[in-house]
Amino acid sequence: MAEDKLLAEIQALRDKVTGITGTAVASRDGLIIRDDTGGVDPDNLAALTATALALAQRLVSEAGQGTLREAVTRSSGGHVAIYAVGANAVLVLLGDEGLDITRLHYESRATIDTIEALLALSSSESAAG
Amino acid sequence: MTTEGSEDGPAGPLREALTVCAAAGMSGTLRVTGHPGGAIHLVDGRVVAIETPGAPSPEVLLLRSHRITESDWDTAFAAAAVAGGRMSAELIAREMVGSGELEGVLRTALADAMFVLASGTVEEYRSEPGPVDFVLPVEPGAETEWLLAETSRRIRVLASLPDRYDLNRVMAAPGAAARPGVRLVESQDEILALADGRRTPRDIAFALGQGVFATILQLARLREAGLLVTASRRMTERDRREPGHQAPGDEPGSPSKLPRRQRDRSALLRNPKTAELRAPLRLLQPRFGRSPGSGETP
Repeated sequence: MAEDKLLAEIQALRDKVTGITGTAVASRDGLIIRDDTGGVDPDNLAALTATALALAQRLVSEAGQGTLREAVTRSSGGHVAIYAVGANAVLVLLGDEGLDITRLHYESRATIDTIEALLALSSSESAAG
Repeated sequence: MTTEGSEDGPAGPLREALTVCAAAGMSGTLRVTGHPGGAIHLVDGRVVAIETPGAPSPEVLLLRSHRITESDWDTAFAAAAVAGGRMSAELIAREMVGSGELEGVLRTALADAMFVLASGTVEEYRSEPGPVDFVLPVEPGAETEWLLAETSRRIRVLASLPDRYDLNRVMAAPGAAARPGVRLVESQDEILALADGRRTPRDIAFALGQGVFATILQLARLREAGLLVTASRRMTERDRREPGHQAPGDEPGSPSKLPRRQRDRSALLRNPKTAELRAPLRLLQPRFGRSPGSGETP
């Protein structure tokens, strides 16, 4: 099932990148698709992440800086990294203070492409079903 | 342990590379690509700092353990930045931490980080001479002989434990049955609360604000006491939501800050490979004295 593969893909990213504490995939309009956030409210996270991505993309556009690759917030207690997944979804990764951002940046690309493909497959399945 | 190289000490190439840099009196950074990988910062051949995602930095150690408050840290940091001075001097001058204590924290963090680097996998080294900038360097820098000896010691101690501990893969998973008569001290309670099937020993160390080595020793003791298991895989939210997941003693609808833990023993052993793992030990549940026979909460 596409959904289990989705979770498996995200778990694989957690294994490759040190310091990820939670993950979620949400739609661009702020609805949770898949969550494994480890205690953080997934609905709130989905809504905020979709908004944050939209704002980040607008900032980048306003600043004339091409295409947003990742939006990362760094705090005293950890990190939140947000990625656009195609045009319709967003991936958010929660990490602790030791999150390996460099490795994340490198490994996330393939994960995002796979997630995009799985979501497309899943939506075409439900359209057909 | 996923140690590359000899069992006596840190991975051979890592020890060699560090020794070469030290002998050359290098000032700069030895970058280690791998898992977790990291950066070893040297000044005049002595190690002043190690950065790695695999071990908590001095900042994490001080803040997460609540030894220093966030606002105190921010104040000292801003003052150090403005004055062009050192963070350590600010912390000490403001009596936020004693100088001896701070030195102890920094040296322990250094040894912990080196141990984690040496216990991981290394793909590549790259030495980058140049100025070094780190918020809380060990001053004076540590001799590499000392650092390598400390690392060897830690690795030997872990090798002597009954079970293997992988810093990045072993996850302490919860169990279900209460163990009557088991007494917990508060620090153990805290660790067990974090062992929710999602966290590796490294993750737990970060959450507690203590070193990875010290954390593993505590986890080992808890495991010996029959309070922890090693999970075959990371638990997910989906696992927790599965039907029949209610832990014994949980009131329906009661707010619980602990994830509901209830893994069918057979589920953990579903994969024939995992059946070979050392027999899962059950964690008493629930904690914080919510149900009888769960052990004391001081």
